[in-house]
Amino acid sequence: MNDNNTKQNVGRITQVIGSTFDAEFPKDALPPIYNAVKIERDLGEIKIRLVGEVQQHLTGGRVRCVALGSADGLIRGMECVDTGAPVSVPVGQKTLGRVFNLLGEPIDNQGPVEAEEYRPIHRDPPKVADLATTSAVFETGIKVIDLLTPFVRGGKAGLFGGAGLGKTVIIQELIARIASAHGGASVFAGVGERTREGNDLWREMKEAKIGDTGRSVLDQTTMVFGQMNEPPGARLRVALSALTMAEYFRDNLGSDVLLFVDNIFRFSQAGSEVSALLGRMPSAVGYQPTLASEMGALQERIASTKHGAITSVQAVYVPADDPTDPAPATAFGQLDAFVYLERSISEKGIYPAVDPLASSSRVLDPQYVGAEHYECARRVQSMLQKYRELQDIIAILGVDELGEEDKLVVHRARRIERFLSQPFLVAEVFTGKKGEITPLKDTIRSFNEICDGKWDHLPEQAFMYVGSVEQAAEQAERMASEARKK
Amino acid sequence: MAKARALDKRRKSIKNIRKITRTMELVSTAQFRRAMERAIAAKSYTDRIVRLVADLARAGLNAEHPLLAPRESKKRAALLILTANRGLCGGYNSGVLRSGLARLEELRREYDEVELVVSGKRGVSFLKYRHYEIARSFTQFDDKPAYDEVVAIANEFLTRFRSGDLDRIDVAYSKFTSLSKQSPVAETLAPLTSMTTEIESQSAEASGEVEYEFLPSPQSILEEVVPSAFKVKFFKCFLDAAVSEQIARMMAMKAATDAADEMISTLTTTYNRARQSQITNEIIEVISGASALQ
Repeated sequence: MNDNNTKQNVGRITQVIGSTFDAEFPKDALPPIYNAVKIERDLGEIKIRLVGEVQQHLTGGRVRCVALGSADGLIRGMECVDTGAPVSVPVGQKTLGRVFNLLGEPIDNQGPVEAEEYRPIHRDPPKVADLATTSAVFETGIKVIDLLTPFVRGGKAGLFGGAGLGKTVIIQELIARIASAHGGASVFAGVGERTREGNDLWREMKEAKIGDTGRSVLDQTTMVFGQMNEPPGARLRVALSALTMAEYFRDNLGSDVLLFVDNIFRFSQAGSEVSALLGRMPSAVGYQPTLASEMGALQERIASTKHGAITSVQAVYVPADDPTDPAPATAFGQLDAFVYLERSISEKGIYPAVDPLASSSRVLDPQYVGAEHYECARRVQSMLQKYRELQDIIAILGVDELGEEDKLVVHRARRIERFLSQPFLVAEVFTGKKGEITPLKDTIRSFNEICDGKWDHLPEQAFMYVGSVEQAAEQAERMASEARKK
Repeated sequence: MAKARALDKRRKSIKNIRKITRTMELVSTAQFRRAMERAIAAKSYTDRIVRLVADLARAGLNAEHPLLAPRESKKRAALLILTANRGLCGGYNSGVLRSGLARLEELRREYDEVELVVSGKRGVSFLKYRHYEIARSFTQFDDKPAYDEVVAIANEFLTRFRSGDLDRIDVAYSKFTSLSKQSPVAETLAPLTSMTTEIESQSAEASGEVEYEFLPSPQSILEEVVPSAFKVKFFKCFLDAAVSEQIARMMAMKAATDAADEMISTLTTTYNRARQSQITNEIIEVISGASALQ
């Protein structure tokens, strides 16, 4: 933080409400909006050290601030010092391999970070003229994603899903798949999720190696955490801190950056937690009235420019499995690829529980992915759509009442549904099944063959957790021989 | 809002389906009674005449009849499959077709040519879809197969069999045993040997040895009795199929109505909950908005 050595602008706390507080400054020296103010006080056993961010100017020389840390122990009348700048975080090569909190302080017990440069976390999004328009497909090796919701290189992908559907697992899987094959820097933002997951991720990254260079993935990664134990102010700003670090790699080093955010919903949630305390009237479903503009300000900065690209993958929690909830709905509009995780699919034991009909991607268009890929995806979707339409009839009348053609659709759709599952690299230790990286070429061929009916003879179960369709045949063989043994 | 509306729409469509299944259940219950009366009425007569033929066959000794004699030649066989014209009868059609196709495979192994004759739209469309060649098809038989029409077909088969055009006539249909038991079977109608051996074991103990006196001659008696046994048996297949179909439909529709009822009740609960939470939400919004302004 830029310590102001000359003349400190000191104010006094006049009111504390939850995680917000008001402070009174001299009338001619009000700290501007978004400036960081610091409160430091030693009360013997308790040391209070808090940074707040100015949000509003009230009458009478008072400013209203959001506490970016715990507001425990704050007392009216405490001194608070204007730092003269917004919260600034270290950027650059030195940040790689380190773990930070939202203030840019290292929290991995590896000593201070000697960064050459600090940057304020509030910045303008790149200018329209600077934006790059890319539509190259980003292959992940996950069948359902590559086929139905291809990610865009330099674009944004969102993983939507209710509680416990595996958003975090997919994010970690993508890190394992992409980051290990990716030469450039990666930035991970942990926003309001479990601290344990952050810890697991750090350890996993340390062990994972980039390609065959022998360097660990962690050496190329910056991690920023503001997890669910932190007060709302921290969760509200941690995404910006991580983004600022990612932006530096993009703008100054011109490299392609991967940005993972888990979970962007917590950002909206934190905003809603402080919104009422700041005196704003709640809007739809109790969210802050500024929901869309906050989300827009964040998302607009995650962009690819002519200097470099930021490819981001964001997890978005869907409260109560209702995608029409305003928080996920505002995030939805910002994304290139939209992966929706569905509870009814996870209940069938199919992971990743991607809903093949609700998910979509901007680049799933023959212009970008080629006619073969597009046709295959549409075929798969229309077959699954038909199956879904028939489901009520099957539930009521039974499968016997279907016409021959519909029976065949059901037969194949059930196989496709199962074939969309895939063993994950990060789940190897739990499932004992080796993770499968399926090339897009194989994926398209496999799905086409299933649609054509080439694999109608295999039992449904054979399609669970395999890579290409040939492995399904092998699995069927294995299942048959096991059954014979019994 | 979107969720509640979608739920309501789905519930409405299920209610419509339920209306249909419930009606079909009632209709088939009424039809089943009539069909069952006919089948039961025909049952004793059929059993009796078949038994008679069996007894005659044993007693007749030197009398020969083409319908009773096993055939050496294995050129051409006919398989008649009796399915329903309409669906909504659970596994009835697929059961009959499964046993029919199994028999078809057997016949194809034994005979040079197998002629497939199908009754019922369901069977026709199923077999056409699977690219089976259908020699003839009937769709006029519903819940009340008319004796005249059935016998016309039986006569035709009979003539062809006697002339040696056909060496075997099989029929696959759903056999009606009782209200709780109907099973898809494939039986051989001509030559009648298999049918008679089936009965023989039962009749041997029941009636014991019966001595017959033939007047004017065994040949003329057989000439009269055997074809009518064939026709009656043939007709009985149609009657059995009709009863079985109605029973199958009754059961299937009852199950479907129950399933629909259950779905409607769960959907109603979910819908009410969604609607309630939506109202609660809106009230909260209004109240908190109002109190924030105070």
